[in-house]
Amino acid sequence: MTRYSQIAGEGRDASDLPVWRSADTLDLAYIGYGLLIVALVLVSYVLGVFNWLPHDPEQIRFDLLNAPPGSAGHLLGTDFLGRDILSRLIVAIQAYFLPGLVAIVISLMVGTTLGALAGYRGGEVEVLVTYVNNLVDSFPRLVLILLVIAAFKADIYYIMIIVGVTGVPVVASLVAGKIAFLRQKHFIEAALVLGLPSHVIVLKHILWYHCGPLLVIRATIGMGEAILIETSLSYLGFGVQEPMPSWGNMVQAGANYFFQGKFWPSTAPALAILLTILGFHLLGDGLNSILEDRGGK
Amino acid sequence: MTGAPLLEIENLRTYFYARSKQAFIRAVDGVTLSIARGETLGVVGESGSGKSVTALSITGLVSAGPGVISGTIAFRADGVEHNLLQDLEQYVRLKERDGRIVEVSKDEPGWRKAVERLMAPVRGKEIAMIFQSPKSALNPFARVGDQITEAIRLHTRAKNPGEAKERALHWLERVKIDSPRLRFDNHPYGLSGGMCQRAVIAMALASEPSLLIADEPTTGLDATIQSEIVGLLAELKAEFGIATLLISHDIRAISRLADNVAVMYGGTVVEHGPAPDVLAPGFAPKHPYTTALLASIPSVQNVRDKGYLTVVEGEVPDAVDLPRGCRFYARCNRVTDDIRDKCAHHEPELKEVTPGHHVRCWLSAE
Repeated sequence: MTRYSQIAGEGRDASDLPVWRSADTLDLAYIGYGLLIVALVLVSYVLGVFNWLPHDPEQIRFDLLNAPPGSAGHLLGTDFLGRDILSRLIVAIQAYFLPGLVAIVISLMVGTTLGALAGYRGGEVEVLVTYVNNLVDSFPRLVLILLVIAAFKADIYYIMIIVGVTGVPVVASLVAGKIAFLRQKHFIEAALVLGLPSHVIVLKHILWYHCGPLLVIRATIGMGEAILIETSLSYLGFGVQEPMPSWGNMVQAGANYFFQGKFWPSTAPALAILLTILGFHLLGDGLNSILEDRGGK
Repeated sequence: MTGAPLLEIENLRTYFYARSKQAFIRAVDGVTLSIARGETLGVVGESGSGKSVTALSITGLVSAGPGVISGTIAFRADGVEHNLLQDLEQYVRLKERDGRIVEVSKDEPGWRKAVERLMAPVRGKEIAMIFQSPKSALNPFARVGDQITEAIRLHTRAKNPGEAKERALHWLERVKIDSPRLRFDNHPYGLSGGMCQRAVIAMALASEPSLLIADEPTTGLDATIQSEIVGLLAELKAEFGIATLLISHDIRAISRLADNVAVMYGGTVVEHGPAPDVLAPGFAPKHPYTTALLASIPSVQNVRDKGYLTVVEGEVPDAVDLPRGCRFYARCNRVTDDIRDKCAHHEPELKEVTPGHHVRCWLSAE
């Protein structure tokens, strides 16, 4: 097909080129790194589920307290109870992976629905959605989470539901803004005059064609946020509880030995947090520049 | 083919409430028009004369915002008469104080539902529309062919995807897009403006409507493409005889395509009649505005006669505060002392001057 149009002297237009061919190298690097992190997280999750680990993450060895990396087959060393840090890092992904997905699904589903309603219907619905958004937005996230923990219990799923709900306003306003932008073009009116039912216009012509990339990008960034919240809470002692490992409580436990020169028990999970969240954010960022910025054409 | 016209607009008023002025912007103010089957009606007039809003009113797109609409739009298809504005007024409440409209409350969901119910049997299926800017009338991220196929599957008997695709290709060929099979897979941004407009025309015609509304179909295209599109519309007209409401600034396009012409000014029709009569240069029996409008067209004839182009002095009257008398009074250069008083204070009726040719002017009413 491409060859034909070249012969015909019409040149290739942007729609013939795969999106990555016209993308910026730096963005591709971001995406590559992000995908690597996502793959690592996925693989680690599967390893954790099937318990294919180098060592038993809960086996305590008093002869190997805070052993440095590399000693006795412990690649990243051991912590203050002599437990293998690498195995614990891998198992800790269980702490946020599914809960994080729950948070993302909640914020995307509710946010998209509200945003589409507000953007497409406008008028009073939009005012209502804006008020709800502002209400949710005006509540500090961490305070809300601590309230829920105090009222119920320190369960990661409760926390992630709150993270999901507090993520709704961002998604809703993104989708509503996108629709407001699309409304300036006339193809929605054209579709109406063509007799397409409203639900087809909203679901297919707006959400499917135009909001897909937006939602993927939001999902990756949302995952990063969910991990950050989980680790912060676990660090503070509100999230995942010992002996279940979580990157947050590993950093916390290891921090006690940091100034005794035993830096690895806290540094390893801290680095894992840094690299993972960076990965999710860069992935979102890169996808944003190559998928979303083409919108104007 | 005989009997009642396909579309009959009676006393259409489409107002938009301006809160800051506590008054209505009377975009369309008492338009009466009709289109017979197979007829092409050209609508001309300056920007702001209410042409496009008339088209939007017919297609039920005035639903959003503070739009208020009254009158009747009767549309007859398949032996059924639809009043496209049935009971729409009941969703709007006005609150007046001291002769000013202080509040317009509109039952937006109710209005929307009513419009959807009224429009469902005709939109796309019976009435199709071509828009001013073809690029924005197509979904930028969907393939052109898919968009046409979608319309076909929705409105014609070709329900299965393969068959619908064949029909879509057939229509792309019909509108003379080169290499239709390639264009089928293109996204709108890969097409030129002219090609996009052809695709939009294909999409409109694909559902085989009985009325086509073309809202300035050549605006924004370059001159050669304009004449190509006009040529295409002329061919399609000869071939299918679809009744068309053609709104345009382009008098040459109108004179080539239209059977009848309506001249709009200040939200109403000031002259309506067979195209040759209305578009003939000269004076009587015509509305002074039509004369002025025709004289302002850049044409060899006009320039040869005068050596320069005339402009219509002044501007379109403010739609919030329309004059009480003739809407064109302030700009009219043919008002005489005998009728000056009438022009200033009383609005003339649309009066038949020759068979089928109506003019809204006190000069012709004598």
